[in-house]
Amino acid sequence: MGDITLTINDAPVTGQDGMTILEVARENGVDIPTMCYLKELSPIGACRLCVVEVEGSRNLVGSCHTPITEGMVIQTHSPRVVTARRMVVELMMANHPDNCLVCDAANQCELRQVAADLDVGLPSFKLKKHYYPIEDISPYLVRDLGKCILCQRCIRACDEIAKQKVFNLAYRGFDCKVIVDLDQPVDKEVCRDCDVCVSVCPTVALRKPKKQGEEKKGPPLILSQ
Amino acid sequence: MEPVKVDEIIDKYPAQSSVLIQLLLDIQGEFSWIPREAIQCVSERLNIPLSQIYRVASFYKAMSLTPRGRHVVNVCLGTACHVRGATRIIDKVEDSLGIKTGETTEDMQFTLQRVNCLGCCALGPVMLVDKDYHGKMTPAKVAAVLKDYD
Repeated sequence: MGDITLTINDAPVTGQDGMTILEVARENGVDIPTMCYLKELSPIGACRLCVVEVEGSRNLVGSCHTPITEGMVIQTHSPRVVTARRMVVELMMANHPDNCLVCDAANQCELRQVAADLDVGLPSFKLKKHYYPIEDISPYLVRDLGKCILCQRCIRACDEIAKQKVFNLAYRGFDCKVIVDLDQPVDKEVCRDCDVCVSVCPTVALRKPKKQGEEKKGPPLILSQ
Repeated sequence: MEPVKVDEIIDKYPAQSSVLIQLLLDIQGEFSWIPREAIQCVSERLNIPLSQIYRVASFYKAMSLTPRGRHVVNVCLGTACHVRGATRIIDKVEDSLGIKTGETTEDMQFTLQRVNCLGCCALGPVMLVDKDYHGKMTPAKVAAVLKDYD
């Protein structure tokens, strides 16, 4: 368990054995955007937003799940990396409903924040959108799969933190989606109100049901001058 | 569906999660689809979450989550068959069975599916009914082929 020296963006840094590139980078003040990664959950490298360029590697590697090795030379913001990240976000946005203006997540949406940070505007792809009915029969949880970006945070949180394994992915290709048990709408029988999945969802594919009179609580989204 | 048969199939294998795919294939072979009740049985016996089994069953084309007809008709729409007019074959099959691709006839005789290659492009356009390959198909031959399975 010794120190490992590597180079991130031309600066020498050290990290412990077993750390990932992302952890070392964040420790040293290098900001790598992430989407599916949460430090409480096991990294799966699903979203490809955290890719970095490692010298000697043919492909870009996902920094959230790649352990550091001695003498690694890493570029976190080279043109190739930034282009790849933009494309990843653009593809996520391409079949995400474009109703940000009236969306509940609005300024708290991680997808929107990442898109703004990376300067991704309206996607140039005209893709089919997902149309799923909003599941609001549960008193604890409202699911809007149209806004799901398949980051699998809810799946892992339910499994690793709540120890329930209610969610999973199913089907394939464009039809791939997060299911509950046997692809049934989430109701109060299958899921209690532990809220772990709601707290990790980057968009508002999962949210708490609104209660009457609570709509205007919290700070206003736009502060008047 | 008879739960006894599902139990019999489960009993053939050690109760561990690694047998899942083989088990689902056996259930598929027995009932020609995978009923929800069977998934529930497997989940209880092997202690695998329902959603995990559903994930596997929905991923593989070899497994079906809806009842299938007695005969499964696969029309190849791979490149070689496609350029030789396989779309006309599948249209003809749809017409004569009165169903769309992916559906099953009401009398549960036929299920129609499209596949993207059957591996015998020289015979194209190819139609596979159960385990019989029918090569060099024409729309005119469709009715005669289907009649053999009625």
